[in-house]
Amino acid sequence: MKIKSLLIANRGEIAIRIIRTARKMGIRSYVIKTIKEPNAWYLEEADEIIDFSESFDDNLPEFLDIDRIISSAKEHKVEAIHPGYGFLAENPDFARRCEEERIIFIGPSHDAIYRMGHKTIAKELARKHNVPLLGGSPGSVANAEEARKIAHKIGYPIILKAAAGGGGRGMRVVEKEKDIERMFTLATNEAEKAFNNPDVFLERFVREPRHIEFQILGDQHGNLVHLGERECSIQRKHQKLLEESPSPALDKKLRKKMGDAAIDIAKSVDYYSAGTVEFLLDEDNSFSFMEMNTRIQVEHPVTEMVTGIDLIEQMILIAEGKKLAFTQEDIKLNGWAIEWRINAEDVQSGFSPSLGTIEKISWPENEHIRVDTGVRDGSVITPYYDSMIAKLIVHAETREKALQQSSMAIRKFWIKGTKTTLAFCRAVLQNSNFRKGKFNTSFISKELKLTYHAEPDEAMLAAFFATYDYARGVQQFEEKPLQLEKSKVIAPWVLKKRLR
Amino acid sequence: MDVKGKNFTRFLKRQQVYEKQHDSKSLGKQHAKGKLTAWERIEILFDEETFEEVDAFVSPDRTDTGFGKVQQVYGDGVIIGHGLIRGRLTFAYAQDFTVMGGSLGSVHAAKIMKIQDMALKMGAPMIGLIDSGGARIQEGVASLAGYAGIFYRNVQSSGVIPQISVILGPAAGGAVYSPSITDFVFMTNHTSYMFVTGPNVVKEVLNEDVSLNDLGGADVHSKKSGVAHLVYEDEENTLMGVRQMLSYLPSNNMENPPEMELSEDETLDVEEKLRAVVPDDPNKPYDVKDVIKLIVDKRSFYEISENYAQNVVIGLGRLDGKVIGIVANQPKVLAGTLDINSSNKGARFIRFCDAFNIPLLILEDVPGFLPGIDQEHNGIIRHGAKMLYAFADATVPRITMILRKSYGGAYCVMNSKNLGGDFNFAWPTAEIAVMGPEGAVAILYRKELADADDPVAMKKELAAKYRTEIANPYIADERGFIDEVIDPAETRLKLVRAFEALETKFIDNPSRKHGNIPL
Amino acid sequence: MAREAKNKQTIKLIALSTTNKAYEFKKPLEKIIKYQGKPVDIRLHEDPNGFSYIVWKNKKYMLDVIEKNQNRYTIMINSVWHSFTVETPISLKRRRFLEEQGDSSSSVVIEAPMPGKIIDILVEEGSEIKEGEPIIILEAMKMQNEITSHVTGVVKSVEVKKNDLVMKDDVLIEIQKT
Repeated sequence: MKIKSLLIANRGEIAIRIIRTARKMGIRSYVIKTIKEPNAWYLEEADEIIDFSESFDDNLPEFLDIDRIISSAKEHKVEAIHPGYGFLAENPDFARRCEEERIIFIGPSHDAIYRMGHKTIAKELARKHNVPLLGGSPGSVANAEEARKIAHKIGYPIILKAAAGGGGRGMRVVEKEKDIERMFTLATNEAEKAFNNPDVFLERFVREPRHIEFQILGDQHGNLVHLGERECSIQRKHQKLLEESPSPALDKKLRKKMGDAAIDIAKSVDYYSAGTVEFLLDEDNSFSFMEMNTRIQVEHPVTEMVTGIDLIEQMILIAEGKKLAFTQEDIKLNGWAIEWRINAEDVQSGFSPSLGTIEKISWPENEHIRVDTGVRDGSVITPYYDSMIAKLIVHAETREKALQQSSMAIRKFWIKGTKTTLAFCRAVLQNSNFRKGKFNTSFISKELKLTYHAEPDEAMLAAFFATYDYARGVQQFEEKPLQLEKSKVIAPWVLKKRLR
Repeated sequence: MDVKGKNFTRFLKRQQVYEKQHDSKSLGKQHAKGKLTAWERIEILFDEETFEEVDAFVSPDRTDTGFGKVQQVYGDGVIIGHGLIRGRLTFAYAQDFTVMGGSLGSVHAAKIMKIQDMALKMGAPMIGLIDSGGARIQEGVASLAGYAGIFYRNVQSSGVIPQISVILGPAAGGAVYSPSITDFVFMTNHTSYMFVTGPNVVKEVLNEDVSLNDLGGADVHSKKSGVAHLVYEDEENTLMGVRQMLSYLPSNNMENPPEMELSEDETLDVEEKLRAVVPDDPNKPYDVKDVIKLIVDKRSFYEISENYAQNVVIGLGRLDGKVIGIVANQPKVLAGTLDINSSNKGARFIRFCDAFNIPLLILEDVPGFLPGIDQEHNGIIRHGAKMLYAFADATVPRITMILRKSYGGAYCVMNSKNLGGDFNFAWPTAEIAVMGPEGAVAILYRKELADADDPVAMKKELAAKYRTEIANPYIADERGFIDEVIDPAETRLKLVRAFEALETKFIDNPSRKHGNIPL
Repeated sequence: MAREAKNKQTIKLIALSTTNKAYEFKKPLEKIIKYQGKPVDIRLHEDPNGFSYIVWKNKKYMLDVIEKNQNRYTIMINSVWHSFTVETPISLKRRRFLEEQGDSSSSVVIEAPMPGKIIDILVEEGSEIKEGEPIIILEAMKMQNEITSHVTGVVKSVEVKKNDLVMKDDVLIEIQKT
């Protein structure tokens, strides 16, 4: 069936991104208005607004309120829901509720979400399908003693991870046996706090791996393809800061090998829709399966740029029940794409969030540059959501040209009103090993001496501007004449005061 | 007169001795402490080459009290005189710490009194640059009498001419009371101190160790005691700050404050940004200074007591070139509630503005008085009444703009219509009621809520209903307690016109010696 | 008034960076400055409602004043910020003197300004914080209040947890001044 209306259970740039494709496909888009961002841009882009701002529950964020989202969708007779990323995107209960209420969930089956979301189940599936895995515990670890035994077997360092987790929370690296008890407690506590589930599992820790992920597309008729890899090794505390496609580390052979493994994983849960399989790639080109993300990723644009395929459109077509219009052979990777995440963070003091209002934002425009953003002049960066301002995606024939274009674009990407990670992007671009493609997940901690880059003259120019502004401030107030003539004309209330 | 003659030679000789007194030696002494000399301060404070010294050659009292000798110098450690500040006559004295620690002897005091008398007679501002160790012990009671004389003149001048004290070094013991009577106290961070009893006395009596800075530094007085109104990082900026302050003030209470030409970029056009300042969520704080800066002429807001009782923001600004005083609740701090300190801060400023013919603008967003035992026990009743009294007593034009919350007693206090407010405007975001929705609902529906299956949900629903039906500006508007509900973007234009309309305001208060403000 | 007022002039101003680097500029400040011995033209384009930039050696540098308090400035240039204090020769001397004296660095406690509930703690032990930076969100009277640090330093200890109820003047956080 053809979808005619679509509720986007998300906000910001991804909401706008989905609205654009929906518009292209002639689908009516609905979005949710919250009290936290009543003037956000995505509200204006959508065809219809469902207002959640009149009444709200402080303890249940709007985009997590399954009951309310479902009932609103039904009330407005919306046929489908796209969850975007984050929030309810990987919540199997939500996908199941949609199914029960006869609303099309634009994503995979709730069963696939559940199985891939539970890391120990996912690992078991990978093992069954002969996809390489890091050594580790078969399931969650019961106590510190068990962890010690397993760790002893596979050797240190090891990493403890929350079974229900993601995004770097509930993770602890253990270097030596004596630390394992303490780290186990820390990891379980953190997991409990973050995900309401204290279960952790254990894995061998690869010290300096690359983080490579494969974009998967599958239809509801058993057809599965991969759209090449994304290189996501530049991370800080497990948060990706830039991604590229393809990866400088992969050749055709390795790409095929890893791509096949990714498809095998997806097949194991009869996956359909868009998904991402994440691998760790060691220096010796051995790789191991990490996890599968059963949603559209933040970094999907780099894949779109090199393959020319609109992933959101594909997700919608697949949800409608259509067959994939291409096979693995049809997919060609064209040129090189890099995505720079521009976040409202102060990279000069530990990437701390920098709230405020985007007073003005602009970027250069040409055929190499795509910018996905949810903000415009006057948008407010709130503490309620992530700090992403925009994604700058650069596409060119070669990596070198893409880097060249990136330098230009970052230099001309102007944002006024908040501190941003643009300063960090400049530092990365300056690094010769990055330019050579030689880097891994330890890049920021080991290779990058400064997380920002300033040209030598800039400090002097800034000093000049500060001094100039100061001198002018003093001058301005000193030079403007006081008009004293009128002071002598006494207003009636002055006289009255004297008589009293 | 023969310039080479005997008379003139003697004159020149005296001049030379005097100049020698201010030579590099004393310059070095002060500079080594990170301070300027009295003369350097005078030069920065006044327009170039306009200062005329008076009584340069008077000398200390020679009476020997038996407690050591008094250093014999011209001027007795204080420079007095007059000059121009931004072209306007201003009187000043500057104590010289290099002469006997700037201590106040009888002659020193007489000089200060002399210049105070002149300032009052001429109706011109009086500025004290204070850098003094205190009373000159050698001179005994004569020095104390001097202090009393200065205080008396401070009080006589109060409300007649603007008086400003600039603390640039120590101000200890009795010396602190002169600044505290004056309208504004400026301090320089790190090098100025004020206290009634110094660290040594505290140590002796209470056996507590406390540093000069922790006892009475600029930080303490600007944040905790509220004694200092303005603090700057260095002396030059402090003195430039005094110049800036004076540009808002009339020379005396028979003049209006000076107007200033508008900048080229100044307009009365709609300011869209004002529509977005107050958040849609009624419980979310915002910075009221953002509102102030968008309403007044660009770069004209001059905040006073910035770091003390921050739940009320006070300051001077210009609206269409004319000076106004601003009193605003600050939702960012203590939710904008009124407490003892903020009432005191607001009340004194209101009375200052009234005394010197500065019309008042009140920006209101107040959920009520700060509840608490310490507030009640320390007398919020009496202190809160000061603000109320000050508003009701003020004859200058006063306009209230209700931005958001205006609840209960605090509504009355903040220059409400029946307190004599000339114009009361409100933004559409205003909530005017006896109390906030949550509180009101809890009282009005106590029984229903107790019986409800889901009291939380019911309370929420009722609160939302209350908010739309009661807590809005329209009921007050329809009953005339508000003159107009306006579009925030047009605030500037509305205020300019309203103040224009009030230029000929006349109120016939009953004759009396003075009212009895609850102190 | 017969006497004429003149403008005040200081001969030069110095921008002192946080790393103690001093940039000297002669007054009156014009858009031509001496750099490495040669006068160089700085073209400054200012737009208070849009982007301001400097053109220097044929390159454009976007800049913005992001903080300004008396003589303290933080300037953002090409996405990187730099902090300065603008000093006159005398105030610079004073600053050096005070630095020598050594401002007694000690720890400062931040107390709850009113009774309420801790909604969020934005720092942890060991975090570096700057003056004016928010550290705790305290809810009282149905309002969320940002409690900010009034000193620059390192968080020595956090005395409260999320959802704690605190009384007025309860110690929230201790900061080691730097």
